[in-house]
Amino acid sequence: MMKLIKCEFMKTRRRYVLATALVVTAAMLAWIYPRHQSSDLLRLGWMANLYELPLINSIFMPLLSIIVSSRLCDIEHKGGMLKQLAAAEKRGQIYDAKLLYGLAIMLFCVVLSWGATIAFGYIAGFEGDVPIRLYLLYLLFTAAPTIAVYIFQHTLSLCVKNQAVTFFAGAIGTFFGTFSMFLPQLPWLRRSLIWGYYSVLAFVGLFGWTKEDRYKFAHFDVMEIDWTFFIVLIFICAAIYVIGREIFKRKEL
Amino acid sequence: MDEIVKTTGLTKLYKGAAAVDGLDMAVREGRIYGFLGPNGAGKTTTLKMLLSLVRPTAGEIEIMGRRLSGKTRIELLRDIGSLIESPSYYGHLTGEENLKILQTVLGVPKENIDKVLRIVRLDRQQTKRVSAYSLGMKQRLGLASALLSFPRLLILDEPTNGLDPSGIHEMRELIKSLPREYGMTVIVSSHLLSEIDQMAEDVGIIANGKMMYQGALYDLHRLDKPKSLEEIFLGLTGKERSL
Repeated sequence: MMKLIKCEFMKTRRRYVLATALVVTAAMLAWIYPRHQSSDLLRLGWMANLYELPLINSIFMPLLSIIVSSRLCDIEHKGGMLKQLAAAEKRGQIYDAKLLYGLAIMLFCVVLSWGATIAFGYIAGFEGDVPIRLYLLYLLFTAAPTIAVYIFQHTLSLCVKNQAVTFFAGAIGTFFGTFSMFLPQLPWLRRSLIWGYYSVLAFVGLFGWTKEDRYKFAHFDVMEIDWTFFIVLIFICAAIYVIGREIFKRKEL
Repeated sequence: MDEIVKTTGLTKLYKGAAAVDGLDMAVREGRIYGFLGPNGAGKTTTLKMLLSLVRPTAGEIEIMGRRLSGKTRIELLRDIGSLIESPSYYGHLTGEENLKILQTVLGVPKENIDKVLRIVRLDRQQTKRVSAYSLGMKQRLGLASALLSFPRLLILDEPTNGLDPSGIHEMRELIKSLPREYGMTVIVSSHLLSEIDQMAEDVGIIANGKMMYQGALYDLHRLDKPKSLEEIFLGLTGKERSL
């Protein structure tokens, strides 16, 4: 397995996959930071981040998954390399190595944006100490849906030659996942979509916000965390992995 | 002489239609086996089944005396080099980098990269990106990839596709030298009859997924003495003058 992961690294030379992923992450951070300028938001900064970031993640992380998986898998389709690799190595291992390499890039970006968010809080002068336990929980609840979305995109990109199809499927999922956040009356919608789990696992609520006073009398509170859906997501991840790997193994090249 | 490849009743159905229909193929070790057939006859599907790229609907494949199955697949494939349909490559990498990846996957010595680049005469182009290669150079890189492990069995599907006459000649001479110099067995499919006539020692003629003739090329010529291979081929495949 290690030699295959090493090969993945060699293959991405001049493809700038990590650089592209970092540019998307930087774009995400650039979108977040200018929002915290008012004194109210500086007061509520740490919790405001935890409230707002799941929405931003539900747009950017699936987008990043589409880009990374597509760039990693497209190189195999373009030169017809899958048939060459499949004639030399176990298909399951080819699937796993590429998945692990892509996931490493994704999780690096997740951790990087998480760290940058905390660093920004200090630089901007958010009041109080960083609630590290909540931020660690947020990291976990960002990483888990990202892993599920990435495994889905990875399977699609590896099994379908036309990367426009995988982009379209990912974009549709992202749209409905994000859209479902604005429909709290339809909780089943976000629970039935892997892209909706950024919202399902969000655990900070905004209270006391009004149109007139905005954040003046508002506060953020930690809501009850339902671990059932985290466990459901873990099962979804496992199911996508097992099914996706099997589809790739059975695919005729 | 031992058979290095033997198929029994090999069949592949696509939506009920037979692409390969009960094929019994026997390839003798150390020989060049020409696999002839008109377009859509089932040549590539057969070769892909030998490499486990396509799952047979029925039948058995025996390679190097062992049945090809999920358990033996990787072990057997390590001793097979292949070039199927078109050469495989990463266009954004150089020829050398492409071979380095395959060398890592296959776990063969690094020296093999230089050796095969010299064999296919790409040693002066090894640092150039493959996307800038001509079709002939890509074809030669594909052959270099197939040769990288110096396998016992080499499967080449239309290796001269897209080559100019001098490239075809060069490729033919190279393929002819492989059994002699490296003890390889070569299965080469082609629709160019003259190419097979000049290169192969044994021949298998396939039409509509069925084996129409299999044996030594010499015997085929002896059986139908006054006829050329083209006439024999057209007679066997029922494609009189339609090619």
